[in-house]
Amino acid sequence: MSGLIPAFDLSRVILDPWMETPAAAAWVVLMGALVGTSCGIVGNFLLLRRMALVGDAISHSVLLGLVGAFLIFRHVSTPLMFLGAMAAGLLTVAIIEFIHRQTRVKADAAICISFTTLFALGVTLLSLAEVGGPVHIDAECVLYGEIAFVALEPPFVWDGVALGPPSVLRMAGVTMVLVVLLVIFYKEMLITSFDGALAVSMGMRAGIWHYALMIALSLVIVSAFEAVGAILAVAMLVVPAMFAAQLSSSLPTRLWLTVAHACASALAGFHLSIWLNCSAAAAMVVCGAVFFLAAWAATSVRPRVMVPDPA
Amino acid sequence: MTEDDPVGADHPVEIHDLSVAYHKKPVLYGIDLKVPAGTLVGILGPNGAGKSTLIKAVMGLLPPAAGWIKIFGKPYRQNCRRVGYVPQRESVDWDFPVNVMDLVLMGRYGRLRLGQRPGATDREIARQCLDKVGMLPYAQRQIGNLSGGQQQRVFLARALAQESDLYLMDEPFAGVDAATEAAIVTLLRELKERGKTVLVVHHDLATARDYFDRLMLLNMRLVAFGPTEEVFTPEILQTTYGGRLNILSEVVQTIGSR
Amino acid sequence: MRFAAGTKRSALLLAVLIAACGDAEAARISDIAGGGLLERAARFFTFQDPSLRYALAGSILLGLACGLMGCFLVVRKLALMSDALSHAVLPGVAIGFLWNMTRDPVAIFIGATLAGLLGAATAQAITTTTRHKEDAALGFVLAAFFAVGVCLLTMIQNLPEGNKSGLDKFLFGQAAAMGAADVGLLGVVALLAIAAVALFYKEFLVTSFDAAFARSAGIPVQFFHYALMLLLAFSIVASLQAVGVVLVAAMLVIPAAAAFLLTDRLGWMLMIASLIGMLTGATGAFFSFVGRNLPTGPLMVLTAASIFTVAMVFAPRHGIFARWLRKRARNSRIGRENALKAVYRVIEDDGFRSETVSMRELAAIRRVTIEKAAIEARVLASHGLGTISGEGGDLTLTPEGWKRACEIVRNHRLWELYLTHAANISSDRVHDDAEEIEHLLGEENVRQLERRLNYARKDPHGKLIPGIEDIQSGAKGGFQTGGGTGFGRGLR
Repeated sequence: MSGLIPAFDLSRVILDPWMETPAAAAWVVLMGALVGTSCGIVGNFLLLRRMALVGDAISHSVLLGLVGAFLIFRHVSTPLMFLGAMAAGLLTVAIIEFIHRQTRVKADAAICISFTTLFALGVTLLSLAEVGGPVHIDAECVLYGEIAFVALEPPFVWDGVALGPPSVLRMAGVTMVLVVLLVIFYKEMLITSFDGALAVSMGMRAGIWHYALMIALSLVIVSAFEAVGAILAVAMLVVPAMFAAQLSSSLPTRLWLTVAHACASALAGFHLSIWLNCSAAAAMVVCGAVFFLAAWAATSVRPRVMVPDPA
Repeated sequence: MTEDDPVGADHPVEIHDLSVAYHKKPVLYGIDLKVPAGTLVGILGPNGAGKSTLIKAVMGLLPPAAGWIKIFGKPYRQNCRRVGYVPQRESVDWDFPVNVMDLVLMGRYGRLRLGQRPGATDREIARQCLDKVGMLPYAQRQIGNLSGGQQQRVFLARALAQESDLYLMDEPFAGVDAATEAAIVTLLRELKERGKTVLVVHHDLATARDYFDRLMLLNMRLVAFGPTEEVFTPEILQTTYGGRLNILSEVVQTIGSR
Repeated sequence: MRFAAGTKRSALLLAVLIAACGDAEAARISDIAGGGLLERAARFFTFQDPSLRYALAGSILLGLACGLMGCFLVVRKLALMSDALSHAVLPGVAIGFLWNMTRDPVAIFIGATLAGLLGAATAQAITTTTRHKEDAALGFVLAAFFAVGVCLLTMIQNLPEGNKSGLDKFLFGQAAAMGAADVGLLGVVALLAIAAVALFYKEFLVTSFDAAFARSAGIPVQFFHYALMLLLAFSIVASLQAVGVVLVAAMLVIPAAAAFLLTDRLGWMLMIASLIGMLTGATGAFFSFVGRNLPTGPLMVLTAASIFTVAMVFAPRHGIFARWLRKRARNSRIGRENALKAVYRVIEDDGFRSETVSMRELAAIRRVTIEKAAIEARVLASHGLGTISGEGGDLTLTPEGWKRACEIVRNHRLWELYLTHAANISSDRVHDDAEEIEHLLGEENVRQLERRLNYARKDPHGKLIPGIEDIQSGAKGGFQTGGGTGFGRGLR
């Protein structure tokens, strides 16, 4: 019990990582910031649509997609995994909508049924696959990933220059694509998230934008999965967006706040994990949650204004 | 039930300087009134005037920001058995797995001890109340299989089963068919004749005059409260529904939300 | 997710990693059973293995408790609360372990319950004091608490002392590892759940259905809400050992959702859900014992999902199949009514002189081929609404058929008249709307419409509206158009 919380040693916790293994530290923090940013951007729109827990559902059922893709193609390759996970994500959404529309079961129960079933199917297939093959999928890491491994990946070499760990580059690519799409389709996403009926009346196809968001969601979850796992991916979706929404009601400001929150919690979480010797991804989420709690506290202590007597 | 209660028996509802706020935004402000016993009161006002809020505040569902409310001279908690409530129809999930009889029996729950089950007497009362609103043949139906008017009648039957002295009804006329509307009006008059007091949130100016003997005109503040023929005047209606108070409410809201 | 092939892990980072990356996911009862498939199945039913007995009893009790609690979640639309709470208990598990550094069920139970209640309170605080909606609040509780739990668990793994084995099993559960204490705990929780529901059924019912009404009637709504959350936390925590953090939510929600489709009474729903829960638990335990290398928790969830799917499709009133049947019956009724209306119009165009219509006339009015018209005529005949005679298959309506035909034409024309009169819609645009409404108007609506329209006899296009006396006399055997002279005709 005594060794649970190590003494805080400034040089060990703050300085050493950057002095001794600067590249590793930088990649881990960068990965955390990228995951937080891309998830947070999508998360902002999920919050607007009150669909935060659909993100939860998709992040769980991604497992089935990964296992399914592997079982079908018997080959570990990133594009196939991506496709499988994306298909599983869309399948989740489709099942939720089917149950919700065709029966009197409400949306919340439909979400719960759909993702737990797909997740259970994924775990079962996983254990079946393990029997016959040499491939081993670590289901705990499915749940909370291990971001620290990005530093150990053999760097992606292009034209003789080592660019960096492939998963970080992939995440950066996804973030970039997401930002570009956001800039191009900002107004459509805003309107369809804010007021679906208005969007339809303006000739927009709300369904297309809904599914576009779901595809974006699957994409960021799959790419974040490797680093933070299914459940912490939910945290990355919800927490930065909630932090931003707590502080601002304008969407552009919220998006910037999301980025700031992602970077800050990645950095703080990295050091927390070194101090406490615990999972880096979880520590990043804990820091992010603490930031939200601080924002919550800060916005609640505003003095109450008494209503003046109008007479 | 306690007709001989001397304290405040004349005033089923007494509200003193009541203010209610939702998320720091004031909804009701400085309400002061006494409802005399045995009257049929219509609560009127534009959307967002705080009509439902007033009813909820009377029952203690919303905490007052200032002021107090007494029911038959006592705080609501001590007299809650003397109050029957008809919530808005949309406030419940009509897919809920209960049938009409179960729903009406809920009206008896307030009179039963914790953990006590409704008995034969309660069932008989529930059956009578259902019969009174003409819904006895539907007793075993799942509540989702009723039309809007029928659902409203079942809600009324539940309130009747409470056997109260004061009834609070939130928009009982919203979205019901003509037959149900007529049935509700008959029922209201009957309650009044039996000496009960009824407060009804109402949205239709055209019928308000015929249905109620007293009107409460509300727009954040109490604009007027009195016998229908005195209160139902163009000037007062203009004050209630016209633009003047809207400015007040906007100002107060901006201050409140700052 | 990693595929171990080719990944090199340095010793430094291994320290950061969870120790148990060996085979994490599975709770496998079959680990304790050898032999072939049939042999194992036979052994299952002898119940000789003590660990099998514990696993089976535990799974059944778990299904019972979760099924009961899940009903209230489903009807209160709190299904996702179970998901959030089941993740939120993780830090409590870790702290319960830290209490005396062993996997002591009681300490872990208390810690996890407290964490679950803190999670429920946090979610409520977020929804009431911020502008965040329930989904965000639950997502936050789920993720933030889980992250704290993972931090604590990873820290515990790095501790030198203590018996840490099996702590990681709380993520996916391991029914086979259940001991007498775990089963006892589940038994107590199941008993508590049953006792609470039996004693306070009335209170749980009214607070779930209509909280505002319950509060107005003086029932302590908040108390019963937290009582429910406490029981929920109990069930989740007791079930963790068997199904794990991730899949507990499924054991709560799926049996209850299936029961919700099967019945319209809460009492029955509670019974059906707990039965489904017990069945699910037993089946999950059986399959993972019999099948080789199959995990318990996921198998239970898959069993429950199969039961839900069957219920979703075949539930007697709310199933997809029943709905489809109802829709088909409605469509065929509408088809018959349209055919009857066409017959009426043929007779009307003829000035009510002949009572028999030929297929050619019917086809012309219905705008279909003669073959199709003949099929429609045979459908009418098979429902006792008409008789077919002659070599061309001419159709004559029975009194019942004629009554229905008059009714549907009346509904159509009344509605057209109502729209033009009351809603000021021009008369050339009311037909399509009336085509829909005519099949839906009940007798009560028709009476109201007639009163409203002062018993008008002509529709906006100048055609006669059959009145009630026409319909009744039509059914009895005579038809008077009420227009007065000349049109009277006998129909049989």
